[in-house]
Formats: sequence, C-alpha cells, structure tokens
Amino acid sequence: MNKNSIVLLRTLLKSTSQWNIYKYCKDKKKKGRIIGNFIGYSILYLCLIAYCIGTAIGYGKMELTEIMPANCAITVSILAFIFTLFKTNGYLFNFKEYDMLMSLPFSPGTVAGCKFMYMYVKSLPWTLSISLAMLVGYAIYAAPAIWVYPVWLILTMFLPVIPMLLASFIGFLIAKVSAGLKKKNIIQTILTFLFVLAIFALRFAIEAFARDDEKLNDALLSVSDTIKNIENIYFPAKWFDEAVVQFSVSDILLLVGVSILLFAIIFIPVGRSYRSINSKLKSHAASRKYKMTPQKSRSIENSIAFKEFKRMTGSPTYMINGGLGEIFTILIGLAALIFDIDSLIAKVLHDAPVTKEMLYPAIPLIIYFLIGMVATTAITPSLEGKNYWIVQSLPISKKQLYHGKMLFNMYLTVPFAVFGTLCLCVSAKVPILTALLEIILMLALCAFSTAWGCVCGIKHMRLDWENEIEVIKQSSAVAIYMFPNMFATMALVVLVVILGMYMNLNLIIIILTLIVSLLAWLSYKKVLRLTM
Amino acid sequence: MEKKKILEIKNYTKVYGEGKKAADNVSLIVESGDIYGFIGHNGAGKSTTIRAVVGVLDFTEGEILIDGHSVKTDAMECKKITAYIPDNPDLYENLTGIQYLNFIADVFKIGASEREASIKKYADLFEITDALGDLISSYSHGMKQKLAIISALIHNPKLMVMDEPFVGLDPKAAFTLKQIMHDMCANGTAIFFSTHVLDVAEKLCNKVAIIKNGKIIDTGTMEELTGKKSLEEVFLEVQDEQK
Repeated sequence: MNKNSIVLLRTLLKSTSQWNIYKYCKDKKKKGRIIGNFIGYSILYLCLIAYCIGTAIGYGKMELTEIMPANCAITVSILAFIFTLFKTNGYLFNFKEYDMLMSLPFSPGTVAGCKFMYMYVKSLPWTLSISLAMLVGYAIYAAPAIWVYPVWLILTMFLPVIPMLLASFIGFLIAKVSAGLKKKNIIQTILTFLFVLAIFALRFAIEAFARDDEKLNDALLSVSDTIKNIENIYFPAKWFDEAVVQFSVSDILLLVGVSILLFAIIFIPVGRSYRSINSKLKSHAASRKYKMTPQKSRSIENSIAFKEFKRMTGSPTYMINGGLGEIFTILIGLAALIFDIDSLIAKVLHDAPVTKEMLYPAIPLIIYFLIGMVATTAITPSLEGKNYWIVQSLPISKKQLYHGKMLFNMYLTVPFAVFGTLCLCVSAKVPILTALLEIILMLALCAFSTAWGCVCGIKHMRLDWENEIEVIKQSSAVAIYMFPNMFATMALVVLVVILGMYMNLNLIIIILTLIVSLLAWLSYKKVLRLTM
Repeated sequence: MEKKKILEIKNYTKVYGEGKKAADNVSLIVESGDIYGFIGHNGAGKSTTIRAVVGVLDFTEGEILIDGHSVKTDAMECKKITAYIPDNPDLYENLTGIQYLNFIADVFKIGASEREASIKKYADLFEITDALGDLISSYSHGMKQKLAIISALIHNPKLMVMDEPFVGLDPKAAFTLKQIMHDMCANGTAIFFSTHVLDVAEKLCNKVAIIKNGKIIDTGTMEELTGKKSLEEVFLEVQDEQK
C-alpha cells in the first residue's frame, strides 16, 4: 500500500466513524443516539463472545479441544465470505462518492483496494470477537504454550482475507457480467442469489463428503471428522490449525503469504475493469420514448408501498438482503413438496432423533426464521436519506407514511410466508385444523415483524449515511431488530418442540398466536405513538 | 503569454449500453488562459463529456488529452493537474470541512504551510472559515459547493473542470468565484465549465461550445459566435436550426 492508499483508507474509515461524528456534532440528541448505539453494539459483541466461549467450552467438555483452532478458522472464513458477498456490490461498486474519488489522483486499483480494506477493517470486531472467545475456550482446555496466544491473534487478522477476496472477486465478476446488460440491477441480484444458493448447496455437499458414514452413529466423532475433512478441502483453515497447534512456520508463512499475494493479484483485473464497470453501472441513457398512457390512481398507503417496492428493486444490495429469506422460503417449500420430508429433516438436523410430528408446532417459526430476520420497515426510514425531504414536504402524515412502509413489508412477506407454511404443512401431513392455526400464527408473526421493524427503524433512524450498506446491513435499527428476534425464534423453536411432547399442539399454537399478536399490537401502538 | 493546449477532446463519442449516443464525435480545444463555456439544454451531453474529461466515465471512441496526457492511458498524470467540481458534490458528510480539505491536500501532497495558507485564503474569500470545524452534514448546499470549490483550488490545477459551478452559490460567492476564475486564467490555468446561465457565460467566457443531442453544433470565440447578437439569441437560433 502506498501513501495515497493509506490517506484514502484513513479517510474512508474516518468518514463513517461514529467517534468523529460524536466529537464534532453539536446535536445532543444525536450524541445520545451514538452512545446508545455504542452500548447496544458492545452488548451484542459481549453476547457473541459469550456464545463463542460457551461453544468452545462445550467442545472442551466433549474432549474436542483439538478441533477448536480449525473450527475457529472455518467459522471466521464462512462468515467473512458470506457477509462480503452481500456487501461487495455496495462497497466496491455503485458507491455515491465514486465521481469525487475517481477524479482525484487515485488509480482505479487503489480505490478498489482501499474499499476492500475498508470492508476488512470494519469486519475485524466481529472476527476478533469470535476468535478471541474461541482462544479463551482453547486456553482453558488445551493450556497451550505462551507463543500460541500471539500467533493465534496475529493469524486471526489474516483469516478473513482469503474468503473476503474470493467473495469480492465473485462480486466483481457478477458486476462485470451484469454491467453491460439492460436490466443490470435485476441480473446482478439474480446472479448473487444464485451464488449464495450455490454456496449453501456446496456447504451441504462438502459436509456430506466430509462425513464418514461408518462413524455416523457417533455424533462427536462425526463433528470432529467433518472439521478435519473440511480442513483438507479449505487449506487456510489447515494452515491456521497447524500454525497454532504445532507452531509450523511454513503454515504461518503460507497463510500470510497467500493472503497478501491474492490481494495483490485480485486487484489487478479489478483495477483494469473498474472504471468501465462503474461507468456502465452508474450511467443510464434516457430513451425518451415515453408516450402518455392512461394512469392509475392509488391510495396514499399503496402509493408509498409502491415507492418502497421501486426503491428495493432499484438496489441489488437491498434486494439481496431483503429478499433472500423469501427465496429460501420458496426453495424450502418446494423441496418439502418434492422430497421426502423425513429425509430432509434427517439431513438438516444431522440425523438427530427428531420426527416431523415433533416439528408441527415449529413450522411457522421455521419459516419466520427465514423471512422475519430482515424487515424492510427497519431499513426504509433511514434509507430515505437525503430524499427524506420529499415525503416530509408532501401533504401526508407520518402515520400514513409509515402505514405505507408497513404495508409494503406485509405485501413482501405474507405471500411467501403463507406459501412456505402451506408447503411444509402439506408435506408433513399436518392435520387441517393445525395447519389453519399455523397459517394464522404465521400472519401474526408477519404483522409483528413489520411493526417491530418499524419501531426499530423509526427509533434508530439515521439519514446521514455514506453508503446504503450502512443502513441495510450495519445499522443499529437492523441489529436491534434482528438479533433479539433471531435468538428468541431459535429458543421458541426448541421450546415448542419440547412443549409439544406434553401439550396439545393446537393449544400451543393458539397460545403462541395470542402472544405474538399482543406483541404485534403493542409494537403497532408504539409506531403510532412515534408518528404522532 | 504563449497559449498552450491544456485540454484537447478529439472525436469523443460515448455510447450507452442501449445504443444511444450521449456524446457524438465531440471535438474541442481549451488553451491555457481560456475560460471555456460549455452550454446546452438539459440532457444534451454536457455532464457526460465533463465526467469523461475528469476520468470518471469510460468512453467508447475518441481521445481526450490533458496537457498532452491521455485520459485513457495516462489517467493519473491527468488527474494530478486537473480539478473537478461536480454539479452536486458528494462529499464525506461525516468529516468536518477542514478534515475534508486536509484529505484533498494529502492526496495532492501539499505541504503543511502551503495548504494552511491556501485554505485560509479561499475559506476567507468564501466566508466559511468559521464553519470548517463543523461536520459537512450540517452544511447547506451552498456551503458544500463552496467547500468543493476550495478543495479544487488548493492544489493550483492547470485545468479546472466545473459542472454548473454557480448553482447554489449566493451572489457574493458567485462574484468571488468569477474573480478567482479571472485570476486563475491570468496565471495560465484553463477553465472548462458547463452552465445554463447564458448571461454568466457571455460575460465570463472567451470561448464557447454549444452542444445538442450529444453533438457540438457551434463553437468558437465569443466574438465569432455572437457578433452583434447576445449569446442567448445565438443559442436559441442554433437550437431551432437543428430541430
């Protein structure tokens, strides 16, 4: 990296630094919000660290200490790869200060490289939280030599580089292919979806390949074998493992060297095509062929919902993050109809002793886990950004505005949620009354997701973002919406499965529906209060 | 002072994916000391041409040279001597004004004392010195425009490219900018800018090009183009002739 790259990277980091805003902002409310966000994120990191330490201790107790380094490397790598794939489009391409940066004396490769480094630095808190926690678990059970600690920590900094580079390169290829086409946003989104699906399919394929059928009965050995076999496919995990366990200098050099080399190599083609791709992505010729046709009128709420729909389809990043759950729901629904549900459950749950009947009350929650983890209502208030003046200056009340936004989330989620629930119910031969109750529960979950998302979106609205990724993936509104939602749903799945063994299934679903409906109603009331 | 070609656009053509020509065989020369106005209706191809000149936009055919360097093959050399002010500057909103100016000064490797003097001079002229410690997100559109102008001036460019630079500026700032443009030209800088304000172009520019539907339909010195007519009359005439 030359001096100009450091100047640019430093500025990119500073321009999105909450500390910089806190330091120079005069608005006390804004300062309070920054402190709140900081506390929220600290709690989140602590939860993540606690979870990882817990997992590591679990491995330790099961005498699987030796797989901890490889497990750490694999976890960090998978997360780095997936998150980068979702972010590449917004960070490397299509960013709003492109004109300003490209008119300055930076080579395209420098701009792309710095944008990558920015993504990398921003991902470090997550990476370090996971890795440090696993190191703690490893230290407790393996009592390693003192040199293991610095080696582990230093190599952790390199672990995400290779997967992030690969994900960026895939993002680059997708952008390059779609840039020259007319419907570039849609094609970019579809290609990214396909890649994500391919990765998930690959994950299952690798796992199937990595598992030794003869030892399937021994679950612990199976986990251990899976990790070891993945290491044989994904070499950086093996390099990390050997470096940490055996202090293998050659493996240390391999991990560091390949990371640096790959960084240098990948940004040569990216730099060469960077201007051309961005030119194509950012330029739209006006066809000037429009002929006046009869127009339709819509209600204010529907009109806002339509605006939200166009906002979503106009941004591949938004579409990928907001629509992935819906796509997965369709696929899982179809898979449940086509394949035998018992074998699907066995595959997903690694042959755990769970029957389809046990999962009956959890079906809506499983679908909700796919659909409800992203609510557009948590995103759209902030996404208005500099365009907020448009809705502010129109003769519509805040209530109408947020009703429109909530309506869009319902339009987006309800059809897919009902479809997914129906497919699973049909496939699992759920009794009709139970299936009906499950659909009602699903609707209540969609309503809750919409309203709770809206509460988070309004309460943590941030209009001064630099890149829409900050709103779609990294905002406090999204984090506060998603994480409690995710953990609660996971806990509820386990709870209803256990309760189902002792209680009437329909009664469980009715109770759950009542609780979710109450939460949805309370959240909606909160939205009304916030929009008064 | 001897005139030197600073910007030379030769047969520049930009075709969008859909096959539409946003710029069609555009050629013009801006020499040192020129204030060159680029005028045309909305969507005529002004911004597309300007963005290609400053190396932001790729182009299909032709050549753009800045001080003899090709924008296509020698972009870095071109950018080192060029300053660009877009019509709607996207600055880093969460930096303070002074942080942003320091970033630009760092990129152009301007020494501490030189940048301090330059920033002070132009910030005083545009009356935003007091606001330099505030976040850019708190600036009005005009203040952001002033900051973008200062950032373009601090490295003494050979070529100044501006897209609608007077939009959003208050009358005093607009007057200051015109003064600065005159001073820069006297020192040999070439200025190439687009505008819709024909009165400004007429009073400020020594050369003008009129673009319509991506094609240059008239170009020359102000005297050659207007004769005894006003630039507005000439503009409307040539626009109508091309219909």
